[in-house]
Amino acid sequence: MKQQLTNIWKDWRLHAIVLAIVLLTETIGTHSFNVGPGVVLLLPMLYAIIIGLALFFTPVIKEKQSKNAEPLIVLGVTVLIAKIGVIIGPSLPQIIEAGPALLLQEFGNLGTILIALPVAVWLGLKRESIGMAHSVAREPNVGLIMDKYGFNSPEGRGVMAIYIFGTVFGAVFMGVISGFLATWTPLHPLSFAMASGIGSGSMMAAASGSLVAAFPGMENDILAFAGASNLLSLSTGLYMSIFIGLPLTERLYQLMTKKKNNTSVRKGA
Amino acid sequence: MLKNIQEWVLLLGIFGVVALAGNWIGYEILPTSAIPGMLILIGICLVGLILGDVLPGSLPSIAYVALVGVLLSMPWMPGSEYIVSATSEVELLALTTPILAYAGIAIGRSWTDFVKLGWRSIVVAVCVMLGTFLGSALIAEAILTFQGII
Repeated sequence: MKQQLTNIWKDWRLHAIVLAIVLLTETIGTHSFNVGPGVVLLLPMLYAIIIGLALFFTPVIKEKQSKNAEPLIVLGVTVLIAKIGVIIGPSLPQIIEAGPALLLQEFGNLGTILIALPVAVWLGLKRESIGMAHSVAREPNVGLIMDKYGFNSPEGRGVMAIYIFGTVFGAVFMGVISGFLATWTPLHPLSFAMASGIGSGSMMAAASGSLVAAFPGMENDILAFAGASNLLSLSTGLYMSIFIGLPLTERLYQLMTKKKNNTSVRKGA
Repeated sequence: MLKNIQEWVLLLGIFGVVALAGNWIGYEILPTSAIPGMLILIGICLVGLILGDVLPGSLPSIAYVALVGVLLSMPWMPGSEYIVSATSEVELLALTTPILAYAGIAIGRSWTDFVKLGWRSIVVAVCVMLGTFLGSALIAEAILTFQGII
């Protein structure tokens, strides 16, 4: 952690506001409602991010508080990772047993390319689609695209778009769809637990938190698998993108745009 | 370095107090029974953060934090039972609520960038997240079924 932490602890206004948000949201508690066959879970953390964002646009939060909040997210995630560490430890025998599934499901992250790239091209996006669809666009992948194509390239704009969406809505979105899909589809909650580890602490927490709320009996297994998978995604995700994800996206993009150009040429003629 | 450690202790302490309050209100665990677990978690964080600073190599501190947590709590480690039972008094969801409260306040600043993106980016972003989530879940399901674990 290289950033300057000096005197952030003195920003009592920020910490008092967060304490108030926590007390309020935890008092409201978890609520759920059914949408068709699935369950949508509304957790205190989802209200917390929305209230926090709403307060930013009121005089209660000033630029200073918003800046000071960033290192606290990093340290908060550190505590979360420590908690996940002590959940993984006792489950280490089961995790080793499930090792093959854990390792191979990392390739599932390539599902992003197969679903998102055709949609992006179909919507008329050009080389932005490559930055957008090559991965789930967390920090390492943003770094990779910036390194390869530059900040002001179409690919760079694409990856930043997904990164910002993920930062703002990722946790809310993952929290809602994981609870919904796990109750609606026949897939096992532990499969979704492994899928929750996509390389972002807050998204993993939201997705696995919803799973725990929906299947409280499996709490420890769900958190252990999600945490292990997230660590694996964090450590292998970049290499997966460098060696498989990005080349595959480039190839598919060329294939798809070639076909599209041919049809448009025919239409033109 | 010393100054850094001092700041880490103070900020982790503030975060811990907020999380313990949520742990009490939301999950009805009295702070008195959750304090030892929280102190252990903060201790693990500090060891990991210091290791990340001191050790050579480019591994992020978070990798060390996780590693320390796993090592202390694995069944072969003496005293791991106490670590596991003490930290189980701190609910995972009580940690995520304050993180996301801070996150909400922080992302307010990138909100205008986000609004500029337009609806097409949102559609693609939804597909990106659904794609990785469903892709991983399907592969995990197939292999866990094949191994007979589920």
